[in-house]
Amino acid sequence: MSAVAAVLEKDLRLLWRHRSGWLSAATFAAISLLVYAFAFDLVGDEVRPLLPGVLWVTFLFAGTIACSRAFTDEVEQGTFDALLLAPVPRTALYAGKVLANCLALLAVEVAVMLLATILFNQTLISPVLLLDVTVGTVGYVSLTTLLSTLGARVRAREVLLPVLSLPLLVPLLIAGVRATDAALELPAGSAPWTLLLVVFTLWSLIASALLFPLAVER
Amino acid sequence: MTRLVLQTTKWIYGWRWLVLPPVVGALMLAMLVGAVVVAPREVVEGEVQRLMYIHVPSAISGYFAFAVVFAASVGLLWTRDMRFDAVARGAATVGVLFTFMMLTTGAIWGKPIWGTYWAWDARITSTLILFLLYTAYLLARSLADELDEQAARYSAVYAIVAFLDIPIINMSVRWWRTLHPQPIVVEGALPMGMQIVLGLSMLAIVLLTVWLIVLRAETEGIGARATALRAALDRREGE
Repeated sequence: MSAVAAVLEKDLRLLWRHRSGWLSAATFAAISLLVYAFAFDLVGDEVRPLLPGVLWVTFLFAGTIACSRAFTDEVEQGTFDALLLAPVPRTALYAGKVLANCLALLAVEVAVMLLATILFNQTLISPVLLLDVTVGTVGYVSLTTLLSTLGARVRAREVLLPVLSLPLLVPLLIAGVRATDAALELPAGSAPWTLLLVVFTLWSLIASALLFPLAVER
Repeated sequence: MTRLVLQTTKWIYGWRWLVLPPVVGALMLAMLVGAVVVAPREVVEGEVQRLMYIHVPSAISGYFAFAVVFAASVGLLWTRDMRFDAVARGAATVGVLFTFMMLTTGAIWGKPIWGTYWAWDARITSTLILFLLYTAYLLARSLADELDEQAARYSAVYAIVAFLDIPIINMSVRWWRTLHPQPIVVEGALPMGMQIVLGLSMLAIVLLTVWLIVLRAETEGIGARATALRAALDRREGE
């Protein structure tokens, strides 16, 4: 447990020191909101049905950008091998990374939702929506963090990571958008979307935690 | 016990060149004759319905090939034997090929019957995602050469995640959309003649898949050995 906390603390400190990486992900999220606004004419009352999709696509893209950095610095500085040598379970290293990524991304997502509230003049933020977004974030961050271990080794990682992760995340995207529909009191169909979101998140957490030690083994 | 199984498997595998090509050839010929000549013409859909004899077996072959990728990836992570990596890559290529065939024959059939090449129906959409998943797998694996064990392990992890994701994708997409004709083969609503030809096609195409996977896997294995030899040669010249 203390290993998780140590990795989390180290990563949060690094996130704070290397703000540019995270700020670029956050700025990217803000700009994509604007791009959607121009592309789909997001003004007036008819904007509400489009918002869940706009929000989740923004989250996923910003998340992919942010998570792709998770191991890059470690490998470039040569600290990743040192981390792997530490006498702690590798799942703990993974858990620390995921927690740090989740915290940072949640901050970005809340900022995006606030921005959308202001830009589109809609009441968005509610406890249910925050819960859905948190669950979904844990789901996609756990998977993208696992996949980003490759990232560190390949030059084309910025392009490759979304190509790898987005097809896997289709269930999360569908469930997230529909659950958000329901949270915004829009028609969402009868399927249990929140349950699907929770199941996907649990699945991706368990699978990634089990596979991470195998993916980084030397 | 394990040794017996291993020896039997080896013995069976040793027959592959003698058995697979003629059997697959004969079955494919029989399938063609069956699908084009023997099978009765469907009353409502007409000749285009004959695509079913490729479409349905391709679906089974695609899933079969991806199951092989999954098994080989588990084998690679378990034993660190790079031959499993060659099998996984070979099977993924074959699986992507059959998934593509399934999508194409479906589109050709869909135009006259549904009036559209593409429909966002649950099965079509999940097949497309499947196609994308394994194309991504091949892409990721191709960025490093055959001998790169780290890349092989990484790709194996991805293949395992992708395979385990398939049920969730199918479930979520089914909740999202549905329009595909429900399978009527199981309920016996398909005429006898069609059932026999379909059974024959499945056997033919699944065996073809097995043969293609064997061919691809061995080619990949030989490619890996060639790369290793070339690297060794370069090292010697460097000395």
